[in-house]
Amino acid sequence: MNVCAEVFIVYEILEKREIAANNVLYKIHAPHIARKVQPGQFVVVRAFENGERIPLTPVMWDAEEGWITLVTFIRGRTTLRMNMELQEGDKILNIAGPLGNPAPMKKFGKILAIGMITGIVEVYPIAKAWQEIGNEVITLHIVPEPMIILKEDLEKAVSKHIVESFPLKEGMGMPEIFKELVTRGQAKVRELIEKEKPDLVFMVGPARGQKAIFDVVKEYGIPMEVDLHPIMVDGTGMCGACRVTVGGEVKFACVDGPSFNAYEVNWEELIARSEFYADLEKKALEDYLTKLQQGGAQ
Amino acid sequence: MMTLIKERVPTPERPVEERLKGFMEVNLGYTFELAVKEAERCLQCSPAPCTQGCPVHIDVPGFIRKLRENRDNPEKAVKEALEVIWACNTLPAITGRVCPQEDQCEAVCVMGKVGEPINIGKLERFVADYAREKGIDEKLLQEITPKIEKKKEKVAVIGAGPAGLTCAAELAKEGYQVTIFEALHKPGGVLVYGIPEFRLPKETIEKELEKLKKLGVEIKTDYVVGRTITFDELLEEYDAVFIGTGAGTPKLLNIPGINLNGIYSANEFLTRVNLMKAYAFPEYETPIKVGKKVIVIGAGNTAMDAARTARRLGAEVTIAYRRGEEDVTARVEEVAHAKEEGVKFEFFLNPVEFIGDENGRVKAVKFEKMRPLEERDARGKRKLVPTGETAVLEADTVIIAIGKTTSKLLRMTLPQIEADEHGVIKVNENMMTNIPGVFAGGDAIRGEATVILAMGDGRKAAKGIKQYLEEKRKSS
Repeated sequence: MNVCAEVFIVYEILEKREIAANNVLYKIHAPHIARKVQPGQFVVVRAFENGERIPLTPVMWDAEEGWITLVTFIRGRTTLRMNMELQEGDKILNIAGPLGNPAPMKKFGKILAIGMITGIVEVYPIAKAWQEIGNEVITLHIVPEPMIILKEDLEKAVSKHIVESFPLKEGMGMPEIFKELVTRGQAKVRELIEKEKPDLVFMVGPARGQKAIFDVVKEYGIPMEVDLHPIMVDGTGMCGACRVTVGGEVKFACVDGPSFNAYEVNWEELIARSEFYADLEKKALEDYLTKLQQGGAQ
Repeated sequence: MMTLIKERVPTPERPVEERLKGFMEVNLGYTFELAVKEAERCLQCSPAPCTQGCPVHIDVPGFIRKLRENRDNPEKAVKEALEVIWACNTLPAITGRVCPQEDQCEAVCVMGKVGEPINIGKLERFVADYAREKGIDEKLLQEITPKIEKKKEKVAVIGAGPAGLTCAAELAKEGYQVTIFEALHKPGGVLVYGIPEFRLPKETIEKELEKLKKLGVEIKTDYVVGRTITFDELLEEYDAVFIGTGAGTPKLLNIPGINLNGIYSANEFLTRVNLMKAYAFPEYETPIKVGKKVIVIGAGNTAMDAARTARRLGAEVTIAYRRGEEDVTARVEEVAHAKEEGVKFEFFLNPVEFIGDENGRVKAVKFEKMRPLEERDARGKRKLVPTGETAVLEADTVIIAIGKTTSKLLRMTLPQIEADEHGVIKVNENMMTNIPGVFAGGDAIRGEATVILAMGDGRKAAKGIKQYLEEKRKSS
């Protein structure tokens, strides 16, 4: 196949759907990425001319048809703006990838693969591939009910798929939701470890969530791998924004990871670093909401 | 009686108060009248040392002569001067701005022996800028392009920095089909992510790149060679490959506290500000956090760029360097600009620890005081000894600008290319690597060097590629 044949690739949005509350799926024309991407790898997306670069994970792809799907969790300005301003047929400016190292395709035995909220989208391709090469994979999705996604896909792909969910109550803010995710997640993981005795635990989710689950897993001494999501800019190893301390050494998650041994990660540092821009993220979101409001009033 | 004009004609600059308010270019460049006046100081040496001092050997007296000969016809003057420059350098608006001329063409200018050397860089820049303003470069391109005889051979260039762009331009002028693969969303390499607007306006780069496209060069952005496309696929598809991937991986200090919040590599800091325009947040969506007190560690050009950028974002800035003032490696002009803009300098301080607050944000840097010896090291710098004394400077932001190494990703994904233990690629005299048909240049073969050396390499590699492809054609 002539791999360089495309003179000009446009990342056209072939399909866009809200697959659950705050979870938006984009199916995008990106043949060169679809051809190369492997489970565990990610892409860096820049959707707008004045936009930032954000890392996202291809969930499904088709090398023949030349598309990938990305699922965004609407958590701030860029992901909200993508949902508000990008429709089917529109184009995304830039998608670079695939980036990062593929997940190791080895026979580990029985694997418990955990996704918290939209983290499950990154678990899906890895869990599916692990199952395909002969592992027994149990997936666990820890999530508020309105945000359950990929349920049927995972049920088809792995030995057992468990959804640990809860309804959202009136007045529940992010801190309360997060607390519920952690409490339920920890209890469910404890139960599954006791019952299933996995050989490996793998998890994708917010850093604080990963740390909370790791606290349970380490009591049992079971090997645990985590895909880390520090802040990224270029995603190609040229800036070190995504640096993490693993086993006492500084690593760049974009080129050395994203997968690392949970026992070696400096969690406090990772959590502090991933929250560094929280105030500016809020400011950016408010600025955008103001624009929307004023635009609506015209 | 004639008198020797020893002093150069100065170029106007924006006043300090004005330039600290934004990212507008500091140096405003020559007008035609000023350029001609400066051009008249040139002695028109033959052979000309300045041409030898230029890494791409521009016929400096030649282009200066064109300005003088056509003093009554600015358009003609600039067109002919540009033609002379283009023979060796297709990106003069950039090199005229960022070259360390004082170490190159201007260092060996005969006039420099008795007074100030000819301001070659600013004259080169004038020619390029004036040509662009008046559409003269466009006309020249239209004259050149039909004369290029298209060849069937395809060449892939990895990396759209100064080395890759120059190599691509030279090959396109020879008629080869050139495709550049660039990992970022914009081509330019360090020109777009590293060097700030106030030294090199992004518009200038964009205009220079349009020229390349008109020469028939195709640029694929978002292409990470090794990931999006493998090296083997490139070899299959193309008749030759040039590696111009630069030295983009920042060196970080291996000392306690390096991962505290508020500590940036200069690459990250400058990428956020230059490429992503974080200075215009939230209008541009990439955030940057600069506190009140910034310490920049290092004293090269990158350190000056970072320090002056931080000043423009409203911070008090101190450059801390482990050596002395005489050892500063940044350009004289940049150091002067930094000082004018209120950047403070502290010498003989070697960082040993970053101290953080309870939220994991940096609040101070602990240094050990160093003392210089008379003895010199291999690079001619005074050796340093620690004094055992320490100093603590407060800072809420620290920018590490102690250098860069070759791309980590390249080393991981291109193990077949012979390189030294630092990942610096080995090439022969024609810039060819251990793999036939694969050439390399710029920071990828030098470690961290200058824009113009990278361009020189790109040009030399283009010649090597041409020779290689011609021989290949003959033997097939």
